[in-house]
Amino acid sequence: MHLVTGLIGLIALIGLIVVRVPIAYSMIVVGGIGIAYLNGTDILMAQLKDLAWAQFSVYDLSVVPLFVLMGNIATRAGLSNDLFRAANAWLGRFRGGVAMAAIAACAGFGSVCGSSLATASTMGQVALPELRRYRYSGSLATGTLAAGGVLGILIPPSVVLVVYAVIVEANIVTMFMAAFLPGMLAVILFLLTIAVYVRVRPDAGPRGAVVDRDELISATMNMVPVLTIFGLVIGGIYFGFFNPTPAAAIGVFLVILYGLAKRVLKLKDFRYALLETAKTSGMIYLILLGAELLKIFMSRGGVPQAAAEMMVNSGLPPLAILGLLLVALIILGCLMDSLSMILLAIPFFWPVIADLDFGMNPEDVKIWFGILALIVVELGLITPPVGMNVFIISTLDPNTPMSETFKGVAPFFFAELLRVVLLVAFPAITLWLPRFLSG
Amino acid sequence: EEQIKFKLHHFLGPKAPAHSQMLVPWAERIEKASNGRVKIEIYPSMSLGGKPPQLPRQVRDGIVDLAWFVNGYAAGLFPRTEVFELPGVHQGNAAATNLAMNELYKDHLAAEFKGLKPMFLHVHGGMALQMADKEVRTPADLEGLKMRIPSRTGGWVLEELGANPVKTSVPDLPLALSKKVVDGALIPFEIIPALKIQEQTQYQIEGPNGKRLGTLTFQVAMNQAKWDSLPADIQQIFTDNSGPEWLKEVGQVWDNAEKGGLAVAVKAGNKHVQLTEAEWAALEQKASPAVDRWAEEISSKGVDGKALYDLAVATVSKYMK
Amino acid sequence: MVTNTQSWTRAYALVHRLCEIWALAGGVLLLAVVLVNAYSITADILFGIPLTGDFELTEMGIAIAIFSFLPYCQITGSNVSADIFTMRAGRLALALMGLLAGLLALAFSLILLWRMSAGLQDYITYEEVTAIFSIPIWIGFIPALVSLCLLVAASLMTAIDCMKTRRRA
Ligand code: NA
Ligand code: NA
Repeated sequence: MHLVTGLIGLIALIGLIVVRVPIAYSMIVVGGIGIAYLNGTDILMAQLKDLAWAQFSVYDLSVVPLFVLMGNIATRAGLSNDLFRAANAWLGRFRGGVAMAAIAACAGFGSVCGSSLATASTMGQVALPELRRYRYSGSLATGTLAAGGVLGILIPPSVVLVVYAVIVEANIVTMFMAAFLPGMLAVILFLLTIAVYVRVRPDAGPRGAVVDRDELISATMNMVPVLTIFGLVIGGIYFGFFNPTPAAAIGVFLVILYGLAKRVLKLKDFRYALLETAKTSGMIYLILLGAELLKIFMSRGGVPQAAAEMMVNSGLPPLAILGLLLVALIILGCLMDSLSMILLAIPFFWPVIADLDFGMNPEDVKIWFGILALIVVELGLITPPVGMNVFIISTLDPNTPMSETFKGVAPFFFAELLRVVLLVAFPAITLWLPRFLSG
Repeated sequence: EEQIKFKLHHFLGPKAPAHSQMLVPWAERIEKASNGRVKIEIYPSMSLGGKPPQLPRQVRDGIVDLAWFVNGYAAGLFPRTEVFELPGVHQGNAAATNLAMNELYKDHLAAEFKGLKPMFLHVHGGMALQMADKEVRTPADLEGLKMRIPSRTGGWVLEELGANPVKTSVPDLPLALSKKVVDGALIPFEIIPALKIQEQTQYQIEGPNGKRLGTLTFQVAMNQAKWDSLPADIQQIFTDNSGPEWLKEVGQVWDNAEKGGLAVAVKAGNKHVQLTEAEWAALEQKASPAVDRWAEEISSKGVDGKALYDLAVATVSKYMK
Repeated sequence: MVTNTQSWTRAYALVHRLCEIWALAGGVLLLAVVLVNAYSITADILFGIPLTGDFELTEMGIAIAIFSFLPYCQITGSNVSADIFTMRAGRLALALMGLLAGLLALAFSLILLWRMSAGLQDYITYEEVTAIFSIPIWIGFIPALVSLCLLVAASLMTAIDCMKTRRRA
């Protein structure tokens, strides 16, 4: 009975999404009508008096618009150019090196930007012309950047991770610590993927220019400010100098200083950064509101409890259930963006996971599952049919058909699957750093 | 006859003692006494939406039938009831404070409960000082330290004691302590086991005979219209199971939780500090402007704050015997 | 007909402009939140005295800013949707889907405007204040209601825009 309610709600939701109703409004409509249907219109109308206000004023979520702003200012401040120039000075000389440099620069940019799409589009604009100049195949060039964009979210700060922490009541700082080593692992696996790719297809990724010593030093020096900002913001969070919200504020401040010092930030750049932040943050918070309404509907219908009970009573081993849930997230990734997915699925999936015995303490499971979920929802960005990163890179490079980009991104997809397997098999990769740093 | 259903909403998880040792037994007793005519479904973890400060509004508006909440989370909604949070009122015996609140409710507190029908008001074990690495015995020891505030009035107390009040959510407290974002917290011992506070602190500090620097007040409230719609015998069942006997039991649950929490800390090698009468008096004396601050603020609502404070102190003392 | 189209274009441009200005105002508020936090943490690190109550200023500032972003999101079509299933749909079908989305947004913004006005009343009657500075919460509802008025206008514009497209199709 409860599960039927949930199923009807889910079908209605998918129906609205398919006919292009924005995901936030689809959630709002299904959640609102569901509450009214189950418990009456009066309750819904009373709750709407301050639900949005409450949802928008959650302190822990205040880091989201701040990190979005930081990323947008970084985009306008020319930070991406410096990163790529330095990475390319070191790596460009190797076979596939320009693509490797793009990955490294994506990782660097991801360390100041909380969004995957912003990382993909910013680094795409910087690196695509270079990749084309060295005659990289369209498939490898665009695939690399679409995959590299994912690092924007896998390396802290990360908007999706903040939202996950708020839902399961985990500590945001602990989640940021936990994401770090898996993020580094992603960078290593992506670099290896390119190395293998160009070994199989040498003409896809020729060697770039060998730079002289002076250029190597000057390019490296240029990268120092970015590393300093990352060190202060994320290091400051890790080592407890400040909470995430003040850290993000400091980050915004430093990126502005960087842009002003470089004389690239003009008034119009601020205007642009603020308006982009308005678009992204407004969209995110509207989805948060929709997800809250949907959660209320499902709770009133008894759905999460029923779903958790069914899973736990299914008799499947914990790892099989974990696998099923992760696969479900990958499939959902075809439909919606990562944030909507986390908001939609985690309230149902977390109670199931929390009830299973993985031989770890519950707090560790919370962290470990969060990182796994983060990775698989991000996979949705590079898988067909809806791969937002692939779409973005395609608009930047009209000469490469989208099908080629999807082909180019496939090896990275398998690298990510390998990473999921590694993280499942060795929880310590995720759990070691938070343990070490919280002493 | 049709079963009457209630949705009881609250902000803690289903594993919290408040859920399993207070709310669940209360609901079960009422269901049993009604021979199944009443059904109370409990929704933990804010699963029916919103943030904890909104719970009183949710009850008033009938979004939920019942809710359990901290009165002070929505600052300003229950200014009179706030008197029981002030230093010098709660004496480290939760049952006594519960009974005092019950006694003063009708004549002195009820005005601020419009639209709500409180089932019962209660407090937790009270605010102790739990410090990372500083033994606090005098106000001077607190000077300049960053302390986690439990509530508005708790913030005032800390200010008067010379500390810098810092806001940290309860789940974030262990990390805040380990990272020195705060040097300590004004919080009951009861939370020690759930958050492993014993690992991040060395000192558990309270007054003589378990005296505390104030407490938090809570209530379980029913929507007034829902209450009015109930048959008299069902109303009676709610009243009977929420009266003085129950208040004593609730007091026992919270005070036991204090003992349990403290035992965990002591077992881990932490120092349990019980201040002397003289030390305690000095601390309360230094904190007392917080009481004046409250009294002055509430005078704007036409309440004689000083008189209400004295009455609260006297009534709690009466039940201590 | 020509004047009709012209006045429509002008109305649309006006709403777009207003949404943009309002969003920029919200953006400036966001920068103010940045300053408050940066000041607080700097004072904390240098002198050990953080700005008490920075968190409640942050909560209110962010909430007000987010409300101010919603109309701009609507008028610029920034709310994500999945268009993969309908990439080959005809223009009429696309216009109808756009109309549906626009009307849902319009209905939502009207209901929320109505309900949050009641919420304002409620927060004045049962006044709740912030813990440190004792700022009444209802103050934040006022700019939020202005944002919702703009959201109504923006949703109306996006819905009408789809109908115009349909007529042209
Ligand atoms: Na990032
Ligand atoms: Na996808």
